[in-house]
Amino acid sequence: MITLGHYIALASVLFTIGALGFVLRRNVLIVLMSIELQLNAVNLVLVAANRFHPQNHVGQTTAFFTIAIAAAEAAVGLGIVVAYFRLRQSVHTDEADSLRH
Amino acid sequence: MSDLAGAPAGGMAAIAFWIAAAVAVVAAIATVVSRRAIRSALFLLGNILAIAVMFALLDAHMLAALQVIVYAGAVVVLFVFVIMLMGTASESRGKGGRAPFARIVGGAALLWVGWVLVRSVARLAPEAALPEGFGTVHSMAQALFVDNVLTVEAVSVLLLVAIVGAMTIAKGRRAPAKPADSGAGASDA
Repeated sequence: MITLGHYIALASVLFTIGALGFVLRRNVLIVLMSIELQLNAVNLVLVAANRFHPQNHVGQTTAFFTIAIAAAEAAVGLGIVVAYFRLRQSVHTDEADSLRH
Repeated sequence: MSDLAGAPAGGMAAIAFWIAAAVAVVAAIATVVSRRAIRSALFLLGNILAIAVMFALLDAHMLAALQVIVYAGAVVVLFVFVIMLMGTASESRGKGGRAPFARIVGGAALLWVGWVLVRSVARLAPEAALPEGFGTVHSMAQALFVDNVLTVEAVSVLLLVAIVGAMTIAKGRRAPAKPADSGAGASDA
């Protein structure tokens, strides 16, 4: 029998993988994809919690807004990546030091 | 009402859950460890589709469709376009990782957080009986466009601003003709 605990365990595993990718990878595209993994894990928790407390749709509504904001985040993030790539011909976070000096 | 969803006896829903969970975890790991960004994007697509299956199992039918349309249809395609634009420059070079010590400490800390989370929720309530119309387009539309109409409007404005902002940023400007910062790069800030 699948309980809410199963879903939260799965989501925390997915979130951990995403967070590790966010921290450890240096390719900015893969860093952005790790953010998407984390947002997906959080959405899974929201929808699962809503399924196990189905009096209203608060969890699903919040997940809906999270999806919309994730789409906006991906658009702006990839815009920044494209602008950075035109400037430096690189996608590596180590070389993004234009604001240091 | 779906008879698959969270059936107390397990059965089909449990099998679907475990298959989707395995696909989601394997795809997430492959997304993070892939050397080439295009492979990461395709594994991310697999993860997103597995999560959409989860949403369907959780009776969130509209969100399952939205997950496929917005994530698989828009976000992943955006990633693939950007990777295509960059060509081979989008690949990771060398090992490029943090120090092994940092990897071990970071991984152990995050796994510990996950383990604490799992232990703390292991005794949560089993699923409740579904009210009529849970998760359908009709009830979600009621929740979104009647109860949360102001938030929906705010999100639509946010999306418009994000699109205009993304276009403005991505237009950007070329690298300056004289590399003023290449000499100063060695000095510490």
